Amino acid sequence: MTGAPLRDSLYLPSECEIITVTDLTPGEKLFRIRRADGLPLGHLPGQFVQVSLLGWGEAPISVASSPTRDGFFELGVRRAGTFTSAMHTLKAGDTLGIRGPFGRAFDLPRLRGQNLILISGGCGLAPMRSLIQYCEDRPSEFGSISILYGAKSPVDRLFKEELAAWDASARFACSMTVDNISGRDCFSGSVGLITALIPPLTFSPDTTIAAIVGPPAMYRAVIAELHKKGLPSDRIAVSLERQMRCGVGKCGHCSIEHLYCCQDGPVFWLNEIELLRGAL
Amino acid sequence: MTRTLTVCPYCGVGCTFYLVSDKGRLVGVEPSTTHPVSRGGLCVKGWNAYAFVHHPDRLTTPLIRRDGQLRPASWDEALNLVVERLQAVQAKHGKDAVMFASSAKATNEENYLLMKLARAVFGTNNIDHCARLCHSSTVTGLAETFGSGAMTNSISCFDQTDVILVIGSNTTEQHPLIGSRILNAVRGGTRLIVADNRRIRLARHAELHLRHKNGSDVALLNGIMHVIIAEGLADREFIAGRTENYDALAESVADWTPERTAAATGLTADEIVAAARLYAGAERAMVVFSMGITQHSHGVDNVRCIAALAMLTGNVGRPGTGVNPLRGQNNVQGGCDMGALPDLYSGYQKVADPRLRDKFAHAWGVSSLPAEPGLPLTRAMDAASEGRLHGMFIMGENPMLSDPDQGHARKVLENLELLIVQDIFLTETAAVADIVLPAACFAEKEGTFTNTERRIQRLYKAVEPPGKARADWEIICDIAERAGYNGMRYTSPAEIMAEAASLTPIYGGIAYQRLAAHGLQWPCPDKEHPGTPIMHLDRFTRGLGHFSPVVHRLPAELPDAEFPFVLTTGRTYFHWHTGSMTRRTHLLAREEPHSFIELHPDDAARLGIRHRDMVLVSSRRGEVRTEARVTDMVIAGVLFMPFHFVEGAANALTNNVLDPESSIPEFKVCAVRVEKMP
Amino acid sequence: MKTITPDRLDQFFSSLEPVWELRLPILLPDGTRVIGSLNDGPLALHGGAVSGKPTAAFFPQQSTLFTVTDGAMQEPPPADRPLFIVGFPPRDLACLRFIDRFFADGWRDDLYFRLRQRATVAGLSGYCGPGGSLISPAGGDCDLEFFWDRSNWLVTAYSETGRKIIAGLPETATPEAAELFLQVPAEFPDKNETLIRHASELLRTNRVPESFWAEIGDRCIACTGCNLACPTCTCFGVQDWRSAKKTERSRMWDSCQLDGFMREAGGHNPLGSEAERTRRRIHHKLAADPQKWGEISCFLCGRCDAVCPTGIGIIAVARELVARFR
Repeated sequence: MTGAPLRDSLYLPSECEIITVTDLTPGEKLFRIRRADGLPLGHLPGQFVQVSLLGWGEAPISVASSPTRDGFFELGVRRAGTFTSAMHTLKAGDTLGIRGPFGRAFDLPRLRGQNLILISGGCGLAPMRSLIQYCEDRPSEFGSISILYGAKSPVDRLFKEELAAWDASARFACSMTVDNISGRDCFSGSVGLITALIPPLTFSPDTTIAAIVGPPAMYRAVIAELHKKGLPSDRIAVSLERQMRCGVGKCGHCSIEHLYCCQDGPVFWLNEIELLRGAL
Repeated sequence: MTRTLTVCPYCGVGCTFYLVSDKGRLVGVEPSTTHPVSRGGLCVKGWNAYAFVHHPDRLTTPLIRRDGQLRPASWDEALNLVVERLQAVQAKHGKDAVMFASSAKATNEENYLLMKLARAVFGTNNIDHCARLCHSSTVTGLAETFGSGAMTNSISCFDQTDVILVIGSNTTEQHPLIGSRILNAVRGGTRLIVADNRRIRLARHAELHLRHKNGSDVALLNGIMHVIIAEGLADREFIAGRTENYDALAESVADWTPERTAAATGLTADEIVAAARLYAGAERAMVVFSMGITQHSHGVDNVRCIAALAMLTGNVGRPGTGVNPLRGQNNVQGGCDMGALPDLYSGYQKVADPRLRDKFAHAWGVSSLPAEPGLPLTRAMDAASEGRLHGMFIMGENPMLSDPDQGHARKVLENLELLIVQDIFLTETAAVADIVLPAACFAEKEGTFTNTERRIQRLYKAVEPPGKARADWEIICDIAERAGYNGMRYTSPAEIMAEAASLTPIYGGIAYQRLAAHGLQWPCPDKEHPGTPIMHLDRFTRGLGHFSPVVHRLPAELPDAEFPFVLTTGRTYFHWHTGSMTRRTHLLAREEPHSFIELHPDDAARLGIRHRDMVLVSSRRGEVRTEARVTDMVIAGVLFMPFHFVEGAANALTNNVLDPESSIPEFKVCAVRVEKMP
Repeated sequence: MKTITPDRLDQFFSSLEPVWELRLPILLPDGTRVIGSLNDGPLALHGGAVSGKPTAAFFPQQSTLFTVTDGAMQEPPPADRPLFIVGFPPRDLACLRFIDRFFADGWRDDLYFRLRQRATVAGLSGYCGPGGSLISPAGGDCDLEFFWDRSNWLVTAYSETGRKIIAGLPETATPEAAELFLQVPAEFPDKNETLIRHASELLRTNRVPESFWAEIGDRCIACTGCNLACPTCTCFGVQDWRSAKKTERSRMWDSCQLDGFMREAGGHNPLGSEAERTRRRIHHKLAADPQKWGEISCFLCGRCDAVCPTGIGIIAVARELVARFR
């Protein structure tokens, strides 16, 4: 599973090839990519790569696939600015540059043997999918696994087929919600905020770990619900998104007080950062 | 690693810094620690002034339009064609069928040469530059009242004043190193009045923030003068000894009671009285103004009122006082000084005066020079659409984005028989030209710039221009030569300045070897003269200061049911004008990546517009899409939009109505509608 | 300990030129003193710290990361000669030590070390401070140190390279001179030292209210000079320049005082107000860095205070902070 380091120099991207591009939603695409040298990326769930497009620069993007799935890695990309818009014009066969993987992954050794609550909102499902797939492929390593997912509307949900498959699987307990629904939508989940999915859960705080990935506005509310259930901060993992430029702790754009999100994170235990200004 | 001293290419403050270069490439900027203006500091644009120079979009070769496409050409081809086609247009339609637009970004020497080219070689007074769009009202208004249109005092005077009145200037953003001085002065005890309805940074430090209605400056200033006279705060001695026509002024403001002024400005009577007492009560008071005063259909009237206010209180001709228009461009003062104006030779010498025409004709070796003043830049578009103007030579300006009523400007520029643009990037204007000439930028040539306090400073060449690009002065001389004129053979800009100085009394003492690191302030009439930090010391340039009474006129276009908002336009801190340099500077472009419009929260709530929503803004001239910025920077009913952005261009909306005397467009007030994009 | 007389300095430095690219304190035409090349102005060892970020020698305002021409990726070529840099008083050496560690930690920044690794750095101390004031010697943190004893430069080497460079110089003539060098207290007392520690303490114990940052932020015109002049500021931005045949990626000094520094494409901005940004500038040096690196990362060089147009450099802010919240 471990890949060779991509380059000697820190800032030189390595060439990778796009195998397929799939529409996830009207504004999000999934890129399946392999390294030009054929080696695996060598990442762990929760890590990110710096994607490089010549002439457009770089952007940090979380890996959406599990390292247990060999021969490729996947990136889910929402079109938000000029870089991601340029990325959305790429097709299968095109090449792009990659640096990484970078950052701190989900703490798999601590997650093993625990019951997991995996909570994601919006395009936070992309990084979470890496962990979900990992659990899917190594089912014996973990206890019970709940997947909670919230999106704006049914059409905005990422990985709709996989969501259905996880929903159908006995390995996962899934609950989904959307903020809005219209008549045409075919959706069996609930309507409302993701925070509403937490109170019905029953779990023992001593043997449970929650992981959260979502838009900035989601964290505080979800954390409050988990705390109400007695889950302590050192059992809540959060993955934070920042505007990393270098990915290697030098450029300063992702600093949170004394921490660098790209190196000390993006996955943190909540107790490490909950008192830091600007973290959540 | 080499360091080259130069002058900042952005605003008129005239900070100097060193360009740091390594193997022929610029790699950074270092401030000058000894400069009397910047004193070791710079603003964000100055710190990043190196960053656009090597941009791959730089023009590197002349371009000629063939089969509808701009294609690379040699200098020989391009310049022969320039001369041939300019002469053809003149042969067909007369000498005045062509116009030369000079540039406040170019050096004094280049401005001097382009006006010489227009007048001596092509025989037309159709020469102007973008001062027309910024401080033409100042030049006209102060020439009439004081006899000289420039800033009366020096930047160092901000450290020696008791009260500063800032009206129509967002100084910390547009003249940051002067804005900083104001902030420092306030911390040192100077009292500040800000008259501007945007909640600019200075307003947060002001004792009085007057958020008067757009275009009500004459009412406000007349009201303040009324209080000063009524309360006996006027400087009787100064009025008696230094001025004329006081009685007419006193009569004209007699009706402007605080109550009437309050009704006309939207302020309270108390605010007006407080402002009058604060300003007039000071031992030393300064007025600072900029585009908020000048860019109105009554811009000259605004300036007259400011001049009157200063004279009324004796605040002229002493340190820490004065009427201080802050010039926008790095060399807009110099562009005016060098006579890139349709009615004036260098040093404000009138083309209408036959003795001066003879002087210049003799010096330039031509038999005669045209006598009729030429076209102001802002009347060029109309002249072209009326069939009086057929060709334009534009050096370093981008009227497609900077002129009011963009739709009209575009139609005219596209339909000209001949459009020649000389610039450093393929601007929106260059893109529709017939011939494009690639120029060197500030870092790639020598010359001088004159800052807002009349300080003439040298820039030095740090790196070579890209590709075949050449300095503007070299291109102009080459054109003159090809047009059969042999009076433009110079080996260096120093020689050009020597000639300009010999013909320009206020620059009479200027020579390169005297400028050293910190330059000289004009008037500097002879080689021994130390320069003039403060003007009008014992007498005004015109003799006695003249009070010019003014009648309050409303802006040309006011909101109505169809277009219910006032739109006022301007700039942001991070961008320069049409953005050809700053939008190619990574950090500056990142700060303000796209067009936006400021909208008051109450208006936004009423219209169902949220922060960052896309909105459609329309006026009688056009419509643009832009992003809403919901903020209390603006008052309800007023929208603010910067004009930097080609996508969402504010000037698609603005009104090309001109001040009758200065021909400045009313950029600061027009009526628009705003709605949320579906 | 070696010695060199002032009249021999030029000769000494030019003898190094075949091997080293020299950077020395020089006087520019308008009186600005910087570390530069002798082509740009005369040698000016006296006067203390030069203006401009001294660490720019290894981390320039803009530098190329790589270029891609017709599909071929190329890193910038290495310099022909290693750098020999003179002009770091002890405070600047402390800054250099700090960012050496920063750039080496974790992922090693090879672009920085490409210039840094082969460079020789000389400290400056003695009676060569502003107005002839005494700068106590660093006694390390550099390859060699020049100490002005009011008539000669005493030169001490701390590294092998340093020793080689000064091998040809005569030994100190007078033992009194060497004695002087040794006697100067290692830690020269500075009232700003106490001040900055006090300010750091106030920040780390959360005794500074939000309103204070808003007030200081109101006076900031976002010139970014504080960051751009600071020897321990290391933040950078990245840009791509693309033409038909070539793409160039470079990095340039960035500033946490800009709204766009942390702003995300979707609009979310953890440093979205002037108050937040002003707090971050001070807090990072006085509280965050001490927590991460065990030391305050402001070494009191005074550059941000000198360059700030509105008087809110770190020492000025620390002074206000201590005066109001002690």
